[in-house]
Amino acid sequence: MTLRRVLIANRGEIAIRIARACRESTIESVAVYSDADAEAPHVRAADLAVRVGPAAPSESYLSIPSIVEAARATGADAVHPGYGFLSENASFARACEAAGLVFIGPPADVIERMGSKIAARALMQGAGVPIVPGETSVDQSDAGIIRAAQAVGYPALVKASAGGGGKGMRVVPDPGSARELIQAARREAEAAFGDGTLYVERVIEGPRHVEIQVFGDAHGGVVHLFERECSIQRRHQKVIEESPSAALTAGVRQAMGDAAVAAARAAGYRNAGTIEFLLEGAGDTARFYFLEMNTRLQVEHPVTEAVTGVDLVRAQLLVAAGAPLPWTQDSISQRGHAIECRIYAEDPQNGFLPQAGPLLLYREPQGPGIRIDSGVVEGYRMPVIYDPLIAKLTAAAESRDAAIARAQAALRGFPVLGIRTNIPFLLRVLAHPAFQAGAVDTGFIDANLDQLLRRSPAPLEALAAAAATRAALPTVPSASPSAADPWTSIADWGRGAP
Amino acid sequence: MDVDRGLGTRSAMTRTVMLRESQAEHKAIVRDDGTVSVGDGAPVAVRVGRDGEVRVGDPLPRVAWTVAAGEMRWVYLDGEVFEIEVQTDGRKRRAAATHGSLSAPMPASVVRVDAQVGTAVRRGDTLVILEAMKMELPVRAPADGTVTAVHCKPGDLVQPGVPLIEIV
Repeated sequence: MTLRRVLIANRGEIAIRIARACRESTIESVAVYSDADAEAPHVRAADLAVRVGPAAPSESYLSIPSIVEAARATGADAVHPGYGFLSENASFARACEAAGLVFIGPPADVIERMGSKIAARALMQGAGVPIVPGETSVDQSDAGIIRAAQAVGYPALVKASAGGGGKGMRVVPDPGSARELIQAARREAEAAFGDGTLYVERVIEGPRHVEIQVFGDAHGGVVHLFERECSIQRRHQKVIEESPSAALTAGVRQAMGDAAVAAARAAGYRNAGTIEFLLEGAGDTARFYFLEMNTRLQVEHPVTEAVTGVDLVRAQLLVAAGAPLPWTQDSISQRGHAIECRIYAEDPQNGFLPQAGPLLLYREPQGPGIRIDSGVVEGYRMPVIYDPLIAKLTAAAESRDAAIARAQAALRGFPVLGIRTNIPFLLRVLAHPAFQAGAVDTGFIDANLDQLLRRSPAPLEALAAAAATRAALPTVPSASPSAADPWTSIADWGRGAP
Repeated sequence: MDVDRGLGTRSAMTRTVMLRESQAEHKAIVRDDGTVSVGDGAPVAVRVGRDGEVRVGDPLPRVAWTVAAGEMRWVYLDGEVFEIEVQTDGRKRRAAATHGSLSAPMPASVVRVDAQVGTAVRRGDTLVILEAMKMELPVRAPADGTVTAVHCKPGDLVQPGVPLIEIV
């Protein structure tokens, strides 16, 4: 079959990314938007756009009936869920299938199985993929989980079976604090996922987060597209990702790729997915453990695209239409180095609180090896209710050092003003000697937080620039919601300058 | 090499502006010859572009990006961001905003309230824990002080800008 029209069940930069892939594949795209996003850039990136509800995500981007109805009403034959929102929701995949829509992702039962971390661990163990030593307890009472923690040994990691993104997860350092932390994890898991089932893992000391991109088709083909290292994370939210990982030797890389393909095969996987591993130790003796599978396109997929030269979203469209994988394992190679920095509207100095408000000045950098995936324009107001991601900057070069230097130069030339962002923080991470040496683990940000937050007073040049800047520069957009609208009325044409 | 002239007063050949950034105050003199001096420093050449680009120094200028929001100047310089408050001469600085009230940064629900009226708090103390986007967000004391009012309780849904806690 061929896809004619794809509904993109998402917003922001990823919706724009998918619309571009559709256009290259001569497939029409349909954007969806909430009332808060009627003027958002992703709406204009697609061929058609349809409102799916009020600003609250639960009533728009997370509403299965609204999204399916939008696809039906616009005559779409397929749905791309992007990441986040409904992308790992088995009920949504099922609702799409029931409505005769191709879900661009894995089969619903695969999403369901991998969504249960306990079931996924059992499946991986059966497939011979190493898992973090741990205990699952049938007795889900506090006492039952405490017994499981005792069996694993302290410190123990209590995790939500339905979890992800660090929600519903607590490190329990000792028996004395176990009950309180188990209750907190359960409360958070119930609130976030509607499922408070917990299990316990051994704490891996100083682990690195290394994940393998996999891709399967409907004809039994499964390949991997090498690794991404995502050890620079805060509260389990990734901040900087890169490929290759500085920690992998050729032998370990090969073993992880093979394990990831085995894992995807065991899961009956189709389309793009990611097997996340924790890496313990370094060199040829490093050990890796299955952490979880993400059954969707990842935020950080541009890193893989940069080093392998493939277009993952285009391949998603092909495979969803029933075509075999456009590559063989032997045809995929890793070349050079790529680093992605996630630029967030947040205030690192104030607990990384998300920031909302207008991007009074926003200029994206350009240059060889620089890719920007953004969902904003100058004058756009970052809304309060959605993910605070402004843009992803991916720098690719022939070596890790060159890629770091390229990312640094690009960030220094990426002025974003009007709301606080993490750009200065990202630059301090990139400049840190441990990062430059590739000697990081997932505790890097916490361990170096004071240093990474250190700010200097404004230098003379900044003060002089401030003194010389008048209040109303001609290019300063108004703060009205329509400031993001680039159109002028043709009625104004020919009247001369106002 | 023209310093932008639209700084407020009509006839000034030089203008004095007061700059405030993270506790520090600086006096700057902006001259019609295209130079600015800060404090006792020597004059530096400053060129202001129409698109927010500012070149400071001559030769080998450093490139900054600026935008104005009321009396605030946002300055981007080599990847660092500075928020600098500007008061031009002839205008009294507005009374400092009462930074004594703390509010939610986004719509959120209140999970826990640790602050009690009358208690002393230290900068960085957690006063309230909010939950938004399924993440717990601590609201911390911005400075040492005493809690004078608590306007929220666990379970409340709060909107941005609405005071949760007052501190003096």
